[in-house]
Amino acid sequence: MQTIRKNLRHVSFFLAILMAMTTVWSSAATADVIGTGELLTEQRVDLDRESLLNMLEQQEVKDKLADMGVSQEVVEERIQNLTPSELAEFEQQLAQAEVGEGVVGIIVLFLLVFIITDMLCATNLFSFINCIR
Amino acid sequence: MIIYRLRSLSGFLISLTLVMLLAGCASSPKWPEQTAAGSTATIHKRTLLRSVPFYPQERYQCGPASLAMMLNARGVETNPEILKELVYLPGAKGSLRVELVAGARSHGMLVYELDGTLENLLSEVAAGNPVLVMQNLGFNWWPQWHFAVVIGFDPEERHIILHTDTRERHEQNLTVFNKTWSRAERWSAVVMKPDQLPATAKPLNYLMAANDLETTGRTFAAMTAYRTAEAQWPDQPAAPMGQGNISYSQADWTTAVEHYQRMTERFPEVAPGWYNLSQALDRADCPSQAREAASCAATLAPGRFDAPSDQAQKTSPSDNNSCPVIRCPKPVNQ
Repeated sequence: MQTIRKNLRHVSFFLAILMAMTTVWSSAATADVIGTGELLTEQRVDLDRESLLNMLEQQEVKDKLADMGVSQEVVEERIQNLTPSELAEFEQQLAQAEVGEGVVGIIVLFLLVFIITDMLCATNLFSFINCIR
Repeated sequence: MIIYRLRSLSGFLISLTLVMLLAGCASSPKWPEQTAAGSTATIHKRTLLRSVPFYPQERYQCGPASLAMMLNARGVETNPEILKELVYLPGAKGSLRVELVAGARSHGMLVYELDGTLENLLSEVAAGNPVLVMQNLGFNWWPQWHFAVVIGFDPEERHIILHTDTRERHEQNLTVFNKTWSRAERWSAVVMKPDQLPATAKPLNYLMAANDLETTGRTFAAMTAYRTAEAQWPDQPAAPMGQGNISYSQADWTTAVEHYQRMTERFPEVAPGWYNLSQALDRADCPSQAREAASCAATLAPGRFDAPSDQAQKTSPSDNNSCPVIRCPKPVNQ
């Protein structure tokens, strides 16, 4: 058992080296330029951000935000600071929402994310929420 | 106080979930009103793609059979028996979706996932493209996954026509199709030769599909797809950039420079284009032009790209004559 374990260690060491090298080799050829995928991801993020900001321009959304006492500037700023994955999530919801319910759906989602992050003290958007910590 | 607020929030969350669940049950599919933007074919008259061949599936092997139909429709000679080696998992008694996609890609085809709307699915079929769909014939809690190929539809009968399991040109009721399809996240995809665009293609999604070809080493197909995209959407910087990156990875520096130059001329505000151009120029033995391009990138995106150092400037006085002239974009008036 002991010898097997000892040998195994050598084998796994060798494998680790091998894996590290193959990873380096495969990416070495294009590592010094910006990849096409990276540019595409950036563009997708910009597009998501833009469509979310466009939603805010609708009167219905403005009214709803005003009702809840949240200023549009705050939400706009928050959208600018969303991470790509958060944006993608919104975008997905936006795509799934039916044409009529789209606006309300996004607002609900918005609030969910912000209320929860407020509760976790990560953000401070709503005055009526005391954070947990 | 905090507890009270939390409780009301959780009540809100529960009712929201309930609404979402109920909404899922209540939907009864309507035949879409209009065709997706840009496509001319109609979805309001019976359509059947007769040229798509049919393979009856063997036990559990809807994956290889469906893929074979999709590939044959594009002129790739193959059959389920050959594809079985590529995409069938005997242990799982089935094929994984990613494997089907990778299997099509390995034949130099571009796989474009549709957005899951019935409208776009029908638009693709109307445009002559068979659509690979995933269905769940069982329940959400006991799924029975299935792959089939949509080859037609009949709006009057409200039928979707499929090559599925052992049935050729099976006419499925729209309600049944919609339910089984929805239980599989409405996954659907078309398989395209890289010089043809799907009828419902969106620029970024198509370019990402082309990028999948690039990253999986289908260089020739990827190059063609990027070129197709550039012809269709001249406003997409990733199309020339992809071609440049492929040439760069093939160490074809002068061609890479040409592609990147075309990109920076058309999209002077996109910093990565200048950066890649500077790298290619450097390799193409044009160091001072490379420095110029690098400084353009640094000016556009100071946090991302470093300005070229002064030291390098002194050591490279000579350039070859074939180097292009590099001019940074004028800064936007602020």
